[in-house]
Amino acid sequence: MVIGLDGVPFSLIKGLLAEGKLPNWAQLLESGSLKRMNSVHPCVSSVAWATYMTGKNPGKHNIYGFVDRQPGSMDVYIPTSRDMAGKTLWEIISQAGKRVVVINVPVTFPPREVNGILISGFLCANIDKIAYPKEVAGLLKEMGYRIDADAWQARKSLDKFLEDLHLTLEKRMEAMFHFLEGETWDFFQLHIMETDRLNHFLWGLWEQGDAQYGPEFLKYYQKIDAILGHINNALDSDTRLIILSDHGFCGMKKEVFLNHWLQREGWLKFRGKAPKSVKDIHQESKAYSLIPGRVYVNLAGRESSGSVRFPDEYERVRGEVREAMLGIRDPDSGERIIERVFTREELYHGPHYDDGPDLVAIPCNGYDLKGNLDEKELTYKGPLVGMHTFDDAFLYIKEGEVRKEDNQFGVMDVMPTILKLMGVPIPEDVDGQPLV
Amino acid sequence: MEKGFTVWFTGLSCSGKTTVSQGLADELRKRRLKVEVLDGDVVRTNLSKGLGFSKEDRDTNIKRIGFVCKLLTRNGVAAIGAAISPYREIRDYNRREIKDFVEVYCKCPLEICIERDVKGLYKKALAGEIANYTGVSDPYEEPLNPEVVLETDKETKEQSIGKVIRKLEELRYIPPAEATSYTEEEEETIKQRLSDLGYL
Repeated sequence: MVIGLDGVPFSLIKGLLAEGKLPNWAQLLESGSLKRMNSVHPCVSSVAWATYMTGKNPGKHNIYGFVDRQPGSMDVYIPTSRDMAGKTLWEIISQAGKRVVVINVPVTFPPREVNGILISGFLCANIDKIAYPKEVAGLLKEMGYRIDADAWQARKSLDKFLEDLHLTLEKRMEAMFHFLEGETWDFFQLHIMETDRLNHFLWGLWEQGDAQYGPEFLKYYQKIDAILGHINNALDSDTRLIILSDHGFCGMKKEVFLNHWLQREGWLKFRGKAPKSVKDIHQESKAYSLIPGRVYVNLAGRESSGSVRFPDEYERVRGEVREAMLGIRDPDSGERIIERVFTREELYHGPHYDDGPDLVAIPCNGYDLKGNLDEKELTYKGPLVGMHTFDDAFLYIKEGEVRKEDNQFGVMDVMPTILKLMGVPIPEDVDGQPLV
Repeated sequence: MEKGFTVWFTGLSCSGKTTVSQGLADELRKRRLKVEVLDGDVVRTNLSKGLGFSKEDRDTNIKRIGFVCKLLTRNGVAAIGAAISPYREIRDYNRREIKDFVEVYCKCPLEICIERDVKGLYKKALAGEIANYTGVSDPYEEPLNPEVVLETDKETKEQSIGKVIRKLEELRYIPPAEATSYTEEEEETIKQRLSDLGYL
C-alpha cells in the first residue's frame, strides 16, 4: 500500500511530530523508517511523479513540466500519460500477473490499461474519462467523487477554498475505502493532492502564525494524520505500508518572471506587442523560458523560429545566459534569486534528452520561477504563499529500513524499491536503485 | 518509446498518395508521434537519384525506401512511404522486412488520374513521349490484401485520412483519439486549473 502525500515536507512532519501533533504518524514511526528524500529537477509534481512511477530520469520518461512546447511548431501543450515514455510501476506489476488499484496520481490521465483499476488525477477534466476500466466512472459519479479542489476559490475566499479542500479529501477517502475493502489487490496506491493545494495557499500564513488560518492549516494535517491511522488499521499484517511525498515546500517571497528578465537583457524578443505564447517569439531571440526555470536556446533547426547555430553559438549563448542568471537580484531586497543553474547534460540522459530544457535554473528558497510572457516587472507578490523545494521530500517504509542516509537518495529510487519488496523483477532500463 | 510502424501508400500516379500521406503525417504529428514521410517523387531526387523506370530500377527504388522505413520503424517512428510501387512482389518484400507494415491502396480509376494529371506526365505518356509509364505503358499490380483501400475519386481527403487513422487505432499502433486528446473545452478547464495553481 503506497500513499502519496503531494508536496508534504519531511521537515514539517518532523516538526509537528516533535510538538506531539501527529499521533498516528508517531505510531507508524515505532515500526518503520522515515527519511528525508530529494525530488527531481525541475521540482514540480508532474515531473516528480512521472519519475517515481517509471523509476527513470526525465530524459527517459519525457515529462519535463506541466506545460511543454513542440519545437517544430512552438505549439504549447499539456504533457499527459500519452507523452510519458516507458512502463509505470503499476503496469510492470500488472504484467507480473498481480492486481493493482491506483487512485489520483498526477500524469496518469488519460488512464492507461492495468490489471485492475486506475483512476487518473487532476489533469483529467471530465469524470467520464477518468478511469480504467471506463465503467468505474459511473460509480465515482454516484459517490460524488471530486477530481480536484477549485484553486480559483483560494484567490477569492480562503474559507470557501478550505471547505472545498475538506470535501474533496473526504470524497476521495470514501472512494479509496470502497476499493480498498471491496477489491482484490496486490498493490494499492492512493494519492492525496490536497496537501499541495493547502500548502500553496496557506503555507505562508501558517509559517507566520496567522491567528485564523494557522490553526486551519494544522487541522488539515491532523485530518491527514487520522486518515493514515485509519488506513494503517485497515491493512492486514502482510501488507507493507509506504508513504512518500514528491517535493518539499517553503514560504514564497515572490514570483519571478524569467522571460521578463530575458527580454530586458536582450535575449528575448516578441513579434507584436502582446505575446500570447512562445509561438510569438521573434526569430532574433536567443533564449526563452517555460515554468519553472526551464530555459531553452532558440536553436536553428529545432525551434521553428530558431536562429542560434549549433554548436559554437549555442554553447556561447547557453554559457552567457547561465552566468547572467546567477547574477539576478531581487530589485527590492538585493537578495540573490537563482541559487544554481544546471545544463541539461548534468541532469538528463536517455532517448528524450533532446526534448529537455537546455538549462534548468534552481531558485533560492522563496523565489518561485514562472514562465509568464507579458509581465511588466521582474517580480510579483500575489496570493500564492508557498513554493516547492527539492531537498525536503520524504519516504516512510513500515517495518523496513531505508539503507541510505537523508538526501542520499531520490524519488527515482522508490519504484525499484517497491518492485523489490514485491518480488517483481526490476527492468534493466530503470535508473533508480532499490533502497531496501 | 512508442511502437514504430510503416504506412505504405501505393497506387497510380495522381491517385492521391502524396495528398493523403501529408494529411496523415499532420494528424499523427498532432498526436505527438515522430513522423517521417518518404515520398517517391522526393526520394528520386536524392536517395534514388539516377535510377530510371525499368522494372529493375523501380524495384531498387522501392527496396531503398522500404529499407529506410524499416530503420525508422524499429526506432519508434511512424514512417510513411508514398510511391507508386507497382509490383506486388516488392511491396510484399517490404512487408516481410518491416513487419509492422500497413498497406494503403489509393484506388482511383485510371481515367480520373489522367484527368487530374497534376504533373502533365499522363499527357506525355499517352502521346508516346515518355516510356514505361505506370497505367499507360507499364503495369500496375493491385494489392490483394491491403489493410486500407481509399477510393480517392469518391472520398474527401479528410475521409481518406480518417480511414487510415481508424485502421492504425484498430491495429493498436496509435491509441484511440478519445484517449489521446482533450476536447477544446477540457483543455481550457485544465489550463485554467494549472493557471490558478500558478503552474502555467
